[in-house]
Amino acid sequence: MSLSTKHLLGIKNLTPEDISLILSTAAQFKEVLQRPVKKVPSLRDIVVVNLFFENSTRTRISFELAEKRLSADTISFSASASSVSKGETLLDTVNNILSMKVDMVVMRHSASGAPHFLAQHIPAAIINAGDGINEHPTQGLLDAFSIIEKTGSLQGRKVAIIGDIMHSRVAQSNIFLLNKMGAEVTVCGPPTLIPKHIAAALNVNVSYNLQETLQWCDVANVLRIQLERQNQVLFSSLREYSLAYGINRRLLDSLHKEIVIMHPGPINRGVEIDSDVADSKQSIILQQVENGVAVRMAVLYLLSQRSN
Amino acid sequence: MKALIKQARITDPNSSFNGQITDIFIENGVISQIGKDLTVQADQVIDAKGVCLSPGWVDVFAHFGDPGYEYKESLESGSAAAAAGGFTDVFVIPNTQPVLQSKSNIEYIVSKAKALSVNIRPIGAITRGCEGKDLAEMYDMRASGAVAFSDGIHAVQSAGLLVKALQYVKAFNGVLIQLPDDKSINPHGLMHEGIISTQLGMAGKPALAEELVVNRDIELTRYAESQIHFTAVSTARSVDAIRNAKKEGPGISCSVTPYHLFFCDEDITTYDSNLKVNPPLRSKEDRAALISALQNGDIDCIATHHLPHEYDSKVLEFEYAKFGMIGLETAYGVLQTAVPEVKPEQWVQLLAIGPRAIFGLDPVTIEKGAVTSLTLFDPKEKWTVAEKDLRSRSKNTPFTGKELTGKVKGIFNKDAVILQ
Repeated sequence: MSLSTKHLLGIKNLTPEDISLILSTAAQFKEVLQRPVKKVPSLRDIVVVNLFFENSTRTRISFELAEKRLSADTISFSASASSVSKGETLLDTVNNILSMKVDMVVMRHSASGAPHFLAQHIPAAIINAGDGINEHPTQGLLDAFSIIEKTGSLQGRKVAIIGDIMHSRVAQSNIFLLNKMGAEVTVCGPPTLIPKHIAAALNVNVSYNLQETLQWCDVANVLRIQLERQNQVLFSSLREYSLAYGINRRLLDSLHKEIVIMHPGPINRGVEIDSDVADSKQSIILQQVENGVAVRMAVLYLLSQRSN
Repeated sequence: MKALIKQARITDPNSSFNGQITDIFIENGVISQIGKDLTVQADQVIDAKGVCLSPGWVDVFAHFGDPGYEYKESLESGSAAAAAGGFTDVFVIPNTQPVLQSKSNIEYIVSKAKALSVNIRPIGAITRGCEGKDLAEMYDMRASGAVAFSDGIHAVQSAGLLVKALQYVKAFNGVLIQLPDDKSINPHGLMHEGIISTQLGMAGKPALAEELVVNRDIELTRYAESQIHFTAVSTARSVDAIRNAKKEGPGISCSVTPYHLFFCDEDITTYDSNLKVNPPLRSKEDRAALISALQNGDIDCIATHHLPHEYDSKVLEFEYAKFGMIGLETAYGVLQTAVPEVKPEQWVQLLAIGPRAIFGLDPVTIEKGAVTSLTLFDPKEKWTVAEKDLRSRSKNTPFTGKELTGKVKGIFNKDAVILQ
């Protein structure tokens, strides 16, 4: 078995078979990570460069750890896209790095489609670690892995994605993946943060009512509210956002059923989610982080197999 | 210069020779004889068997970067590109450096264009610096040769200012050109807002942003009893609004670009920055509406929206790439390929007759004694766009490598014969 694609640019381009293969491979790597010796030689002599043109802590660390567990040689590069765009172009930066014989590129970038652009111009395999408001495919995969681990399967699962859908690459990758794997998705948030055409474009339900959405779902994936958005006339204040769309204990207790709570992090406690929800046994937020390493190992491994 | 064109099909609804296959003899920039089997001494004899001969074509919206951005396009390279595309007349937009906003700016273009084979007609800025704040000296620019007024790629946002500009230009029968776009609506939009932008995860620019300005400006033009031309109209509802406005009275006209008839948002699958244009490529339904409006005569002329950009401004992440594509050289092939049902006479109406009428240029007709302004084109010839053949200094076109049907064979303008 091998992936149908040379790069991981997005979930959009994957087949259900690709997704199943990545998830089952990730399960094997997760088992490896429980062993006393956690390192495997799969990517020995492979050079991976992590290019982060946008701030990231957990995704970068997760990728670096995954690469080290696979025995790859790694280099990491962080720069804000704006400082790069003033001087060197993306293509120049990457070509400079590739001239040092790099096999794989993990890239985060603030512009949607930046990894797709790169894929047309360079020979190395590219893993998208988040591009603008488009996709964050490894997050989609690790969220799926975590849902399966907690609930057994994606088929028929009802998943709510709550918050700033408009600017969320996590939402986008989750929606593509869940649809391909037979789950049902509802997006919920203030109308100004939900793309107008999303129902038709991405085959999801749209709700502006948090209580109803939580009542409907098995799993609620709560997105981070980017604090700077409140100045863009998208919503009036964090206080009001929290009142209308924040997940709190009282709300969860009123449901008379136990739903699974997820969050891609980092959390704004007291804004989109309260501490007594985030830290409760319903929450699988830390498992998501743990699974991230196994999923990224699977992606790196499968893409390296393919380019060999 | 004496040139004899043999056996051309005269394609000019206003000419008494329309539809005839005949010879034309040009002497020193004037059509001196028209007739079958002319036997005259010519410096150049052109075999035009099976090829259409039209009055010279006019592009009402092109960007040459001269002055200021000559590395994108100079008046010379732009003029060569225009000639290759069959255009004897090009209106150039004022978004140069400095902006075309005074008599001396206009005179620079007019005097420099005298030596060129194509008539380059400057569009003066409506507002100083195209900043949308204070009126530019339009009266003076008109007297110096400005063909029309526009802030070019920047739509005038303020209704209060635009209504004054509409009133102001009435004194000299001027026409304003507006690229309709409300910049307060999704100012960071990169492509048409719809299903495709949502699937690609790109910020969208809704059709609403264009339609609001079209509807608003129709009202402003009515009030001012003036003249406005909407360029690069791209949505079905814009076309509807303009069609209805024309029924109510004069003063409203519009153009479309060739590429909005050819592409739609679904073609942006690989984040190809050559397809990043403003107004954006709209939905398939919008494109169908534009095509049927063109066939029904609701579109008055063609605007190439030739926007040259050097490699470094386009070969970038989609978000950072500049808006626009070059379009002069591919215009006719794209039109004929996108809407093959349109007959040559109708293209001549759109490319030669319509724009001259709207902007008050002297009509050009293929008759004995007329000044030479002619375009030779073959609606059936197939050709493939190749970067090495492009005369434009910039190469930002998504048509490279595409096969088009319909080819320009040459132009005759002033005393020049430029064959392809």
